[in-house]
Amino acid sequence: MERYSEFRYSLKIFFSNPTAVAGFIIFMLYVIDALIVQFDPRLLGISNPNVLQMNFVNPIPQPPSPKHPLGTTYPGIDLLHAIEAAIRFDLYYSIIVVLSGAALGAVLGIISGYVGGLLDDVIMRITDIFFAIPYLVLAIAIGFVLGRTYESMVIGLVIVWWPLYARYARAQTLSIKRMPFIDAAKISGVRDLKIMFKHILPNVLPPIFVQISLDLGSIMVIFSVLAFIGLIPNASIPELGYLTSLGLSYIESAPWAVIFPGLAITLFALAVNLMGDGLRDVIDPRRRSS
Amino acid sequence: MKLWLFILKRIIYAIITLIGLTFMVFALLHVGGNNLLLATYLNPRLTGPAREEMIKELVQRFHLNDPIYVQYFYWLKALLSGNLGYTNTPIYSGPVTTAIVLFLPNTVMLTIVAAILIWIIGIPLGVYSAVKRDSIGDHTIRVITFTLYAMPIYLIAVILILIFGIYLKILPYSFPVNPILAASLPWYKNGISYPTHIVPLDALIHGNLIVFWSALRHAILPSLTLALAIVAGVIRLLRAQMLEVLEQDYVRLARAKGVPEKVVINLHARRNALIPVVTSYGYTVAGLLGGAVVVESIFNYPGIGYWTTQALLNDDVGGIMAATLIFGVVFVMASLILDIVYAILDPRIRY
Amino acid sequence: MEENKIGEKEKILEIKDLEVKFVTRRGIFHALNGVDLELYRGEVLGIAGESGSGKSTLLLTISGLLPSNAWVTNGKIVYMGENLIQDLVDAGKPKYNKKRNEKAFKKLNEKLQNIRGTKISIVFQDPMTALNPVLQVGYQIAEAIYYHNPSILAKRILARYKATKDDMREILKILKSNKEDYTEKLLEYIGRRNLEGLEEQVLFIWERNDLHDIKKEKLIMSLAGERVSRFALPFLNQVAKTNKVPRIPILSRFIKRILIKEGYRKAVEILSILNVPNPDKVVYMYPHELSGGMRQRVAIAIALVNNPEIVLLDEPTSALDVTVQAQVLDLVKNLRKKYNSSFIFVSHDLSVLYEVTDRIAVMYAGRVVEVGSKEEIVSNPLHPYTQSLLRAVPTLEGNEVSPIPGEVPDMRNPPKGCMFHPRCPFAMDICKVQTPPMYTLGNGHKVACFLYGERK
Repeated sequence: MERYSEFRYSLKIFFSNPTAVAGFIIFMLYVIDALIVQFDPRLLGISNPNVLQMNFVNPIPQPPSPKHPLGTTYPGIDLLHAIEAAIRFDLYYSIIVVLSGAALGAVLGIISGYVGGLLDDVIMRITDIFFAIPYLVLAIAIGFVLGRTYESMVIGLVIVWWPLYARYARAQTLSIKRMPFIDAAKISGVRDLKIMFKHILPNVLPPIFVQISLDLGSIMVIFSVLAFIGLIPNASIPELGYLTSLGLSYIESAPWAVIFPGLAITLFALAVNLMGDGLRDVIDPRRRSS
Repeated sequence: MKLWLFILKRIIYAIITLIGLTFMVFALLHVGGNNLLLATYLNPRLTGPAREEMIKELVQRFHLNDPIYVQYFYWLKALLSGNLGYTNTPIYSGPVTTAIVLFLPNTVMLTIVAAILIWIIGIPLGVYSAVKRDSIGDHTIRVITFTLYAMPIYLIAVILILIFGIYLKILPYSFPVNPILAASLPWYKNGISYPTHIVPLDALIHGNLIVFWSALRHAILPSLTLALAIVAGVIRLLRAQMLEVLEQDYVRLARAKGVPEKVVINLHARRNALIPVVTSYGYTVAGLLGGAVVVESIFNYPGIGYWTTQALLNDDVGGIMAATLIFGVVFVMASLILDIVYAILDPRIRY
Repeated sequence: MEENKIGEKEKILEIKDLEVKFVTRRGIFHALNGVDLELYRGEVLGIAGESGSGKSTLLLTISGLLPSNAWVTNGKIVYMGENLIQDLVDAGKPKYNKKRNEKAFKKLNEKLQNIRGTKISIVFQDPMTALNPVLQVGYQIAEAIYYHNPSILAKRILARYKATKDDMREILKILKSNKEDYTEKLLEYIGRRNLEGLEEQVLFIWERNDLHDIKKEKLIMSLAGERVSRFALPFLNQVAKTNKVPRIPILSRFIKRILIKEGYRKAVEILSILNVPNPDKVVYMYPHELSGGMRQRVAIAIALVNNPEIVLLDEPTSALDVTVQAQVLDLVKNLRKKYNSSFIFVSHDLSVLYEVTDRIAVMYAGRVVEVGSKEEIVSNPLHPYTQSLLRAVPTLEGNEVSPIPGEVPDMRNPPKGCMFHPRCPFAMDICKVQTPPMYTLGNGHKVACFLYGERK
């Protein structure tokens, strides 16, 4: 009974925060768009599965008009549909990256923090090495080496991102480790593995969850940046950064071609950040009590 | 602990990290077997039997048929003796080491200018936002930084280009210098200037003030983009820290002592609040370096970032690997300097 | 300036009807509900009370360090003939308004800048958080002097510069000759030779008891002939005369550095008086490098360095362990002899207060309920609360320790009438309805309790 009311109280706090709610609504709009594009694109007016169908009849970007509400970009791609489809891809890949990176990192972080000693040192040194290269460059290198596909980009980003979660989870684990209930569990003979998963993990999860929701935006931005600079040779999948790069050479005559895809990403990142801040207010006990 | 001891420890640590860096790059090279290593060191201009010759020679020299750790040793040896392979891109083709020498200075210049801009813009705004909490100024700053924080770097670049380059037409947004002016210069070729390879500096050295001015103007938008992308994070952090510090007892005591308010804020409070900002400046530099890749490619500014994107588009292994190494090295150096600055600022850290 | 003399003592601070509330999201805390208090020159006044009694808030109000959500609804604090909190009270009428309050605080801060740190200074409870962790301890002491009396620093430097070896020999002769009045003779000589600022440096060395006489002579001789850059001389003279540092862009930094350096020297002197070992090394250290007792001494040094008239001490010993507590208490006792300041010493520990104070005021729930000399309070406690406080103190004889029944009232909803009536064993009907006034009972012993209403 208590858990249920705790949850409702958390919801109440979250929804009393107007900016967080706004962020949440926008976020859900994106999710809905992604789902619609995934399952029934015709609802949004997308008749051609290949949204990036190049139209060389009219390759020069056209300004917004009733036929193309957001205009078109080079070469003749309707922006509205392209963005709608691209949202789905970006969202999909970002979620994969964030969840995998968080899972990998959190597990390693908890183990590292809990076991301590040499294992902890080794894992931390490894994370240090990963931190030694600016994340964008490392992602480029990994994506390149693995063959420049979307999948390799995902792997690259996961490899770049997990150290952050490892560090974060480790710090949380260290502070939880000191708490008396862990000692109590140890004394009553619970095995280490079980302790880690039943006791530590549930306490580490809430802040990690907040971090995930914040990172969703950051990862999507990084993803789009990678696509923008041309990591992907294959032009068949719509992606917001890639769409922006298409319009770049026409920036003087067709600013909408770069602004709209860029805004789509920015809006998502904004919404996610607001949502994440709202979640943080719910989870962080200090903020709650005010 | 004394300061110099701390510095020594940090230097050793940096060296270890650099070694780890080489492990990583080596591992990357071997993801696809030996081919990548070969591709790096193979002079791209060779064809036919000369090429076969070179391949054989490379296999020999790098012991490519021996176990992995032997290979690593020989590769590291080549690295330390200055041989990093070849790069083959439209803007430059030749040994990697030369490419680094030619391109790095421009990037360093942009990064440093951006870092200075971040300092000049970010610190005052962060302090102001905290001191005048909930004022109109504070809310404006918070909204702007929040938006900037969410924007991808290329969008910031695009907006700056649209405003200053296309609409207001007061700043250029391509190339490091006006290409028409530079066409006749003997010391400027393909975006690379001699002798220092930093375009505005070389213009000064050659006494050409018109070109110097043009080079300055061309450097503004790229540095500004870099700075704006990162400053948002700095302002947010500084504001949060200042708010916390201003609640502290020692700030109250400073006021109680009769220290003028300006000094209370700028000395007592700010110095404490800046400490986490400097610590996290590591991430800032990482963002700056990564951002340089994007910014240089949008603004056609010939630096390491531009070279990296070119290498990417042209499947140039040598370029990518070298770029990774160089970015890593630069970053480790920068972190080292930052840690030392941090130790100077916060006497508590010299455990 | 009005001089209110009771007996031989001069009243330097008077607090009347002080009411302070805190406006928070959780309600309005009635922190002070009509405090009446007087402080006389040269005395140590103790304030006893539990946490929540408002004693810390009282100190913060006197020094003007309240947070901006503090609402001063009534009262005055008269110091040097002026009511320090007039503006705050005006800003609080008729209702609490955040912006108006903040403005009033800003004005108050500016007004008080000349008083705080010079005439009224404060020592906080926890020395670790009261000292800035990134600044050297010596700097934090020197800064207190620099911002109020830079002329002292300038004069000291100039005196050393002007003094010759012959001067020092003369001075040594004076010091070694008369045991009784060498101070006056010294001041006379210094006045004649125009060496103001030298006397405290000379006396400090001479009165140290950890040095050989020969060493002291050497040190005094070395005071003469200080090298001062010709460049800085005129500015130092200006500072010495006007007590203000000139505001020239680059130059003032330079001058500030010289003056602060001199401040470090003075800090060494003060720390030495406070029995800090190796003061010349300590001034270059950071707070985290010092022990709790040393830090508290630094905080006390900061409070004393400008010879204030009133020193407020907010539980200065509560954060320290018992042995260090004793040392700090001895210190406070010695200081009153040397500095002729008045002290307000706040503590929840009556035994500590008995050690150091002359008079004790007992506070409960935002009011002073009893005040009198320490002997009176301890041997003849009148207010039921004071009586229960004394009973709750364990003594060496092992008396029965009886805690006071009930709890401190919730200050968001204070009880009507006398604040103590819910817990008072002698509560009468009138106590529940009316607030008892202060009845005076001779010997300066006052109590706010209806039990003593008939007596006069």
